[in-house]
Amino acid sequence: MKLRTTIAALAASVISIASAGAEEFTIGLSNGWVGSEWRTQMIEEAEAAAAAWADRGVTVKVVVQSANVDVPGQIAHVRNFLNQGVDAVIINPNSPTAFDPVFAQAKDAGVLVISTDAEVSSPDATYVGIDQQAWAEAGAEWLAKTLDGKGKVVAINGVAGHPANEMRVAGYRKVFAEHPGIEIVNEVNANWDQAQGQQAMQNLLATYPDIDGVWVQDGMAAGAWRSIQDSPQAGKIAATGEIRKDFIDLWVKDELNSGASVNPPGVMASALNVAVLMLQGRELKEPATAGQYGNALYLPIPFIDASNLQEVAAELEGKPGFYSYTSALSIDDAEALFK
Amino acid sequence: MSMPQSTSRQRSVFERFPFIPALGILVALLILNGIAEPRSMSYGAITGLIKTYLALMFLAVAQSFVVFSADIDLSVGAILSLVNVVVVVLIERLGGGPDSVLLACLVGVLVGTLAGVFNGLVVVGLRLQPIVATFATGIVFTGLALWVLPVAGMPVPQAFWRTYGGRIFEIPFVFYVVILLAVFIWLAVRTKYIIELMAVGDNRLAAYQSGLPVTRIRIKAFALCGLLSAFAALCIIGDTASGDPVVGNAMTLYSVAAVVLGGTALSGGSGSLLGSAIGALILGLINSFVFFAGVSSEWQNFAQGVAVLVALMAGVLVTRRISK
Repeated sequence: MKLRTTIAALAASVISIASAGAEEFTIGLSNGWVGSEWRTQMIEEAEAAAAAWADRGVTVKVVVQSANVDVPGQIAHVRNFLNQGVDAVIINPNSPTAFDPVFAQAKDAGVLVISTDAEVSSPDATYVGIDQQAWAEAGAEWLAKTLDGKGKVVAINGVAGHPANEMRVAGYRKVFAEHPGIEIVNEVNANWDQAQGQQAMQNLLATYPDIDGVWVQDGMAAGAWRSIQDSPQAGKIAATGEIRKDFIDLWVKDELNSGASVNPPGVMASALNVAVLMLQGRELKEPATAGQYGNALYLPIPFIDASNLQEVAAELEGKPGFYSYTSALSIDDAEALFK
Repeated sequence: MSMPQSTSRQRSVFERFPFIPALGILVALLILNGIAEPRSMSYGAITGLIKTYLALMFLAVAQSFVVFSADIDLSVGAILSLVNVVVVVLIERLGGGPDSVLLACLVGVLVGTLAGVFNGLVVVGLRLQPIVATFATGIVFTGLALWVLPVAGMPVPQAFWRTYGGRIFEIPFVFYVVILLAVFIWLAVRTKYIIELMAVGDNRLAAYQSGLPVTRIRIKAFALCGLLSAFAALCIIGDTASGDPVVGNAMTLYSVAAVVLGGTALSGGSGSLLGSAIGALILGLINSFVFFAGVSSEWQNFAQGVAVLVALMAGVLVTRRISK
């Protein structure tokens, strides 16, 4: 009897949350890989973004599931959220395609699904994040421009077969193809690992002592730069960089010839602000139909180079070394995307 | 022997049904989940739980066969991935009709079984240590899977996952599969083969000296393991509706954990197939409970690990207490 009243009370409280309507939302955040500070920062920024809605009189409660899981484990994340009765799910997905059925189930239950950081094929979800290909193109453009459109370059990539990696490879290849003077002499994989990036760079420098440029992704850039700085070619090579404070500090100190395309950890916070507006029943000015799956809303991609390096460094002052330079849509920015 | 009657009866019950502690833990976890989030015990939520963890249930039962004979198979996740991409790519190549789905599934089951036989030949034929040999064959299978389908993607026909996620006569499809798995287990434990397998696991030399075909028995266990891993792959396709060349790799150690949680000793010679299936559900419920109990995100991995340890200890303590 007691149990039944407890359940009834719980049910009632759930109903009262639902009937409070526009002013109170519960959003589930799912992260399926806990291997980097970037992911931790992503969640922290999203939680802060949710808290900021209080100023608008909207209570946004976030519930988080973040752990190293396999694909079924992350599907379980989504099912747990559905069981809990959330209004929306924001996911950094472990697979581009594996969530189609469970997202369909979410849609049937009236739950909004947004993926961020990696695109998903489900027609029942919206992607809010950066265009990984455009991200790679920006870095490649900078490199091509810095080299005056001619020279030998090498590329150090992440995990072969990973969807984001493939999009990035397509991005720089496209840009370099547009500059006939640029020759890609080799492309290697270093699995998004800083140490492997450093070693790959060492090997490349030994094999091709006359390279002019390096296109390298994410945290591997810090490793690659370490090899470059230790080599006789130091000072003669331009290479893309990354966005963590440690690296930015080094960049400033050693006056590196670098440029970094920013994949900000704030993407989940941006996605959250978009989600809340969608839950309020607002409609996008331009429907999210970009990308290979036709369900993407691409966010602006900041770029760091010599022109704004000092500002970026100042902004990161006092942050821990692993902190990534970030940007996110504020509530006002997000609102501007809606009717 | 002056052992009281009741204790010895209790003891024999536990010896006959080594999955009983696991069943107790399962019930406890169901109750805990129900208290933390009442709706997690709804019909729909339980169906969702089964849908998600059916693949791991098959994988754990698969792993049990090799563990019974004191071997281990660290390639089950890779076999699952390989079968997954083979089936998905075949369906696509054959046009996606009902016939092609059926044919692709049959080929998938065959591929899984062959992978298992290959493991058996490598481990038993070449006399390599199973833990290292299957670790290596797992890498080979992953390589093959990446060759079949280099990037995750390629959807299967909607009918496939609509069936897996749907209902027949108002009963969710996955429940029928669970019943089939239960019938399989019920039949398997009644075969002469399982007794021979346990004998081999208990004392290989003694089994050999008493005239059992040890080599054949062990290879057969690997083959069965491959076969059931293939069924796990079909469940994964049902739940994910797509091909992914690395989808199962993280599941390998979960399958071992499920086997142990289910009351089977890795030293071989005793254990329970049903327990392994229950162990898979325990792992799933632990993950849900950690979330529903409101553990903050930074501590979720930690809490899950501790909870698995507690479940293991609970099982061991109960068993030890009874067998004293």
